This record gives sequence, structure tokens and C-alpha cells, in this order.
Amino acid sequence: MKIDFSILLLNYPYFVSVIIFCLGCLCILTQHNLLKKVIGINIMQSGIFLFYIALGNIKGGIAPIFDPAMPEAAIYINPLTSTLILTGIVVGFSVTAFALALIVKLHQFYGTIHAPHIIRMRSLG
Amino acid sequence: MYLWENMPFILIIGSLVGAFIMAMFARWKRDWCPYLTIISVGFSFILSCILVYRVAGGEIIHYYAGGWRPPWGIEMMIDELGAMMLLLLSGSFLLISIYCIYAIPREIPPSVSGWYYTCFLLTLSSMMGMVATNDFFNLFVMVEVTGIGACALVAAKGEKLSTEAALRYLILSSTGAAFLLFAIAFAYQITGNLNMTYVAAEMAKVKDQFPVIIWVMISFFTIGLGLKAALFPLHIWLPDAHSSAPSPSSAILSGLVVKVYIVSIMRVYFLVFGFDVFTGTYMRYLILVMASAAILFGSFFAFVQVNLKRRLAYSTVAQIGYIFLGFGLGTAWGIMAAMLHIIIHAFMKVCLFLSAGAIYYQTGRKKVTEFTGLGYQMPVTMVAFTIASLSMIGIPLFGGFITKYGIALGSLEANNPYFIALIVLSGLLNASYYLPLVWQAYFVSGPKKFKLEMDAIPFSMLLPIMITAAGVIYMGIFPNGPLSFLGKAVARFLL
Amino acid sequence: MDDYIAKVVFRYVTLVVVIYGFYVILHGSASPGGGFAGGTILAMGVLIYFLVFGEQWRGKLRESPMDLAVLLLGLGAVVEGIKFLVPQTHGPVGAPGTLFGGGWVSLANFCIGTLVAFSILNIIYLLVEEE
Repeated sequence: MKIDFSILLLNYPYFVSVIIFCLGCLCILTQHNLLKKVIGINIMQSGIFLFYIALGNIKGGIAPIFDPAMPEAAIYINPLTSTLILTGIVVGFSVTAFALALIVKLHQFYGTIHAPHIIRMRSLG
Repeated sequence: MYLWENMPFILIIGSLVGAFIMAMFARWKRDWCPYLTIISVGFSFILSCILVYRVAGGEIIHYYAGGWRPPWGIEMMIDELGAMMLLLLSGSFLLISIYCIYAIPREIPPSVSGWYYTCFLLTLSSMMGMVATNDFFNLFVMVEVTGIGACALVAAKGEKLSTEAALRYLILSSTGAAFLLFAIAFAYQITGNLNMTYVAAEMAKVKDQFPVIIWVMISFFTIGLGLKAALFPLHIWLPDAHSSAPSPSSAILSGLVVKVYIVSIMRVYFLVFGFDVFTGTYMRYLILVMASAAILFGSFFAFVQVNLKRRLAYSTVAQIGYIFLGFGLGTAWGIMAAMLHIIIHAFMKVCLFLSAGAIYYQTGRKKVTEFTGLGYQMPVTMVAFTIASLSMIGIPLFGGFITKYGIALGSLEANNPYFIALIVLSGLLNASYYLPLVWQAYFVSGPKKFKLEMDAIPFSMLLPIMITAAGVIYMGIFPNGPLSFLGKAVARFLL
Repeated sequence: MDDYIAKVVFRYVTLVVVIYGFYVILHGSASPGGGFAGGTILAMGVLIYFLVFGEQWRGKLRESPMDLAVLLLGLGAVVEGIKFLVPQTHGPVGAPGTLFGGGWVSLANFCIGTLVAFSILNIIYLLVEEE
């Protein structure tokens, strides 16, 4: 199958967002530090947010605010995706805050936030 | 009438407002929280009963948030499956909140007990929202809120193990939610809608145009919701989280939380993608393989556990496999069996986990080797435990038999009779890890003679256990009512 | 943090950030941004002050602005019903595109901004205190 690279160049925000998503996923899977895992979740979500914003964007469009001074033919971007991402950011923030609180508590119990150390200490009793 | 028209909205917002009020009382009067929770959940239960009555009359309830019609506004739709799930959720939460009055002060530190009820109601509200909603982005928000609430329910114990399990659950469930969000982005990209009905209508037109995106999308839905529903290779968070949580939380997580994700995934597969895409992308065969593996390996893992709650948690992995196997078969009886098993397994697991909590409350025993003489010390609890265990194995006259029979019929309908052998084998495996407990409780005599005496636990803890056990028997003997009620939902799923 | 340069610089930067946060909140109906973004900026301004000078609000009423904002929003929604967020029907309305062009929406925006700012601040204060 012949891949048309010009499509990739034309739609590069999607491409970049998928790369960021994969990096975040990799970060969750491979990092041993719990804080870095939480950062990985945030990177992953940022990739998705970029995807949504790229979805709603129109080249040359302006912010969709009603203003009688604007000409009738003005192009507005799609506001729906931006609002959705606002909700997504709030949810991501609360998840991060909760995870950080749990990590603080784990650090009080075990004295470390390195996942293999915690597992070893738990198996030793 | 205002209440009549806005009933789904009031049902969900009612619990949410209850959660906020509980957060206020947690700072002010902590002792009132359990009773206020019972009032709030009881209100939800009454509303759900009315909704089931309305849906049974042949009405499918649509609610448009703020009066905006789809495809612009958020729509809530309650069909037969949704009404049944709402009734199941609020009923089980009512029983568990009655159980909580005496169980919670024993299991979690008093300083967080008020906040526990906040998370309790928050989880109930978002789960009911997830069942009722017909909008993809609303689904995502509800999924995340349920994840946070369920993690808080696990972490409330404040011990080493439960904190670690809660963190692992939180990281994995937010990863799953990220996959879900990406899948929703693909759905919006190719269809331009977020309302499930409109996405389904548009998807039928464009599915030949974007084969790759549909493939990626259905995979992401499977990973995202399957991770939260603990489908077999993605179940790694479940045993720790379910076994280290307080007993009422374990009952909620095991019996109810994983089920609402399964309801969502069934809707996505059958109502949004449709049966053709579900089969055509080979996702159905993958589900069948993973469900079979879940049944076998979940039972094997459960067999080697020594901690009672851990054994019950691995048993949940196996039972989730039944539900996925049922709707993976894709025939009328299979989907019917999956829906019924969601209800029956909720009864069984709530009964088993609450019994485990009651055993810990009275005797302090946690291990499966310490059941000697329990049948004489706490007869009512052990009778309920025995009923639920026999139902897990699939003995006729108990609820579990109906679903096993339904899955067997479904696999015959799908020309795939090998699954009957799997079901028989898994029934034997279930027997191998549930029957020794029952045998030990009644027939193994310890060093001293046991005298038959009444359970020494409060009646408010005994009542939910008895009601769930009665529910298991009721579903086993009179399954016709739920069967005919869910039949219409099955017909719509296979359209 | 005990750094002389940071103390001198951020004493003024904090002010600018807080004022900019209020600007974004108040112009929510006329420009991109609004309650959420403005509230975040506001919280960041206060947080810089906390990080540099190590002083935080320890009072008992720390969570009350949050509750008050939720209460106001809820009351508004109950009183106004479905028309709550429809602009230019009630309240002090100016010309569209100006500061008061949003009607009730501007007020709701202000509540949301307060809510967001104080939620972020409270969560971070709680995390720090737990250490």
C-alpha cells in the first residue's frame, strides 16, 4: 500500500497528538517512580486535548463570540470541542490532585515513592 | 407535572445534592450522616421504582437537559436495561447503606466516616448518570467521577494496602478513561455528533468509508471500558482494590461498579456500532477468547487464594467473564443471559462480601481456613453465604443456574457448543473453591463441641444479607418477570 | 524559599497576575477565556506568593468563598429556571461585546471564577499541610 505523506503533513496536529498520547502511555508503563506515572497520565491527556482542539479548529477562524461589529461572513471555529476540553481539564486536575494525595500518604507509610521498592517492602511484610 | 417530566434528572441530581449536604454534615454532625444517607438513597430508590413502573408500561423515557433537543443538547434515555440497572443500583445501595450504620465505625477511622458517605453518594449519582445518559461526553465525565469516587471508597480505610491498591486503581482507571476519551474523539471526528443515537445513525452511513478509524475506535472503546470493567488481561487492579477495601466498599465495587461499565460497553457495541461492525472487526471473537480466559484463569487464581475477600475478588474476575461471554455470543439468549447475570451476580456478590464483613465483625476471621464451626456460631449469615455459593456454582433453583442455562442456549444458537463444556468446567471449578468453605462451616468439628446460637451482629447488618440471599432464590425460581422485562431491550440490541 | 531576587520581583508580579486574572474573569462575556481560565490565573497569582513567601490563608473560613459561589450559582439557577444562562434577558445589560454585555452570564462567570480559584488553592494548601 502506498502511503501518501502529504496527508500527514497537511494534518500534522493529529499526528503530533497521537505521538504525545503514545509517549504518555509509554511513560505510565515504563517509569517506576509513581510521580512520573502521574505525569504520564497528564501527558496522555494533553495529547488527547490537542487532538480535540485540532478537531474543532478552522484555518483562519476566530473565537466564536457574538459581536454585531463582525461581518456576516466571518468564520468561527467550532466551540464545542473547546468546551468539552474545559471539562476534560477539570477532570484531569481532580484526578491528579487525588493521585498526589495518595502518593503523599504512601510516602508516609513506606518512605519511598519508587514502585518496585514499595512492592518489595510489602512482600517482606 | 414537573417531577414526572424531569424524573431522570432529579434522580441523578438528588444523590449529587445529597453528597454535598453530606460533605457539610461531615464537618458539623458526623453521627447523622448514615441516617441522612439512607434517606437520600431511599428517595432514589422510590424514584427508580416509579421509573421501572413507567418503562414497564411501554414508555421509553427521554429527558433533554435544559430543553435542548439532540443533536445539540445532552439527552438522557432510560430504556428497559437502564431502568433495571437504576433499580438494581439504588436498591443495592439502600441495602448497603443500612449495613454501613454499624460496619463503618468498625472498619474505617472515625475522622473520615463523614466523607465516606460523601463519596458513597457521589459514586451512586455518577453511576446512575452513566446508565441513564445517551451522550458520549457525558458518559466520559460520569466514568471519571465514578472512578474517583470508587478510588476514594477504597482509600477510605487509610491503611498501607488499601492506599496502594487505590493508587493503582486510580492510575489504571484514568488511563482507561484517556483511551475512552480518544475513542470519543474519533467518534466525533467521523460522525460529527456526540449523541449516541445520532452517532449510530451516522456510523451506519460512513462505516465503509473509514475502516481504519472504526477499527482503532472499537479497540480503544474495548481497552478503555474493558480496563475499568476488569476484562481478563486487564483485571490486575481488581483483586487488590476489592480485597483491601472496607466490606461495604467491596460489595459496591464488586457487585455494581464493574457492571455499569459493562452496560456502557454493551450499548457501544450493539447500539452504536451495530452487530455487523462488532463481528466484522473481529472484536467479538476477541471478546469471546478473553471471556473464556477470564472464566478459566479467574477460577484458577481464586482457588489458590487464602484470604477470603481475595478469593471472592478473583471470583468476580471469573463472573465478569460470564457476562462478556454472554453478549459476545451475540444471540438473543446470550445477551439475555448477560443482562440477567449482571443482576444476579450483583445479588450474589453483595451477599457474599457483606457476609465476609459480618464474619470479620463478629469473629475477626479473614482466612478461608478458619471457617470451622461458623455454621453454628452465626447460622443466618452462613445460610445466606451457602445460598450465594450454591448459586455461584450453578445449582438449579438458584439464580446462577438461570444464566448458565441461558449462556448454554445462546452458544447452541450461535452454533458453538464448545462453550457448554467451558460452562460445565467452570461450574466444577467454582464448586472446588466455594464448597470447601460451606463444608468446613457445618461439618468439620473442631477441638470443642459447638452449640447452635444466634448471630451476635446487629440486625441492621443481618437484614441486607438476608434480603440479597432471598433475591438470589427469587431470581432462581421466578425468573419470568425480569426475563420478559429485559426481552424488549434484547430485541432492540439485535435490531 | 529564601531568595532575595525572587522576593523582590514576585512581590510585584503577583499583583499583575492577580489583576490579569480578574480582567479575564470580568471580560468572560466579551473575549476568549472566562471564569475557568481567569480563576486559574488568579489562583496561580496567589500560589506564586505562597511559594515565594511561604504564607498561606490558614483561617477557618478558607472554604467558605467556594461554598458561597456554589450557593449563588445554584440559587440563580433555581430562581431563573431554564432562562438562567440565556444572555440579555435579565439583569444589567450593556451593549454586546462590552464589559456588561452578558447580563446574568457575567455574574455566573464571576462565581465560577471564584469557585475555580479557591478550589485550586484549597487543594494545594491541603496537599502541603498533609506533608
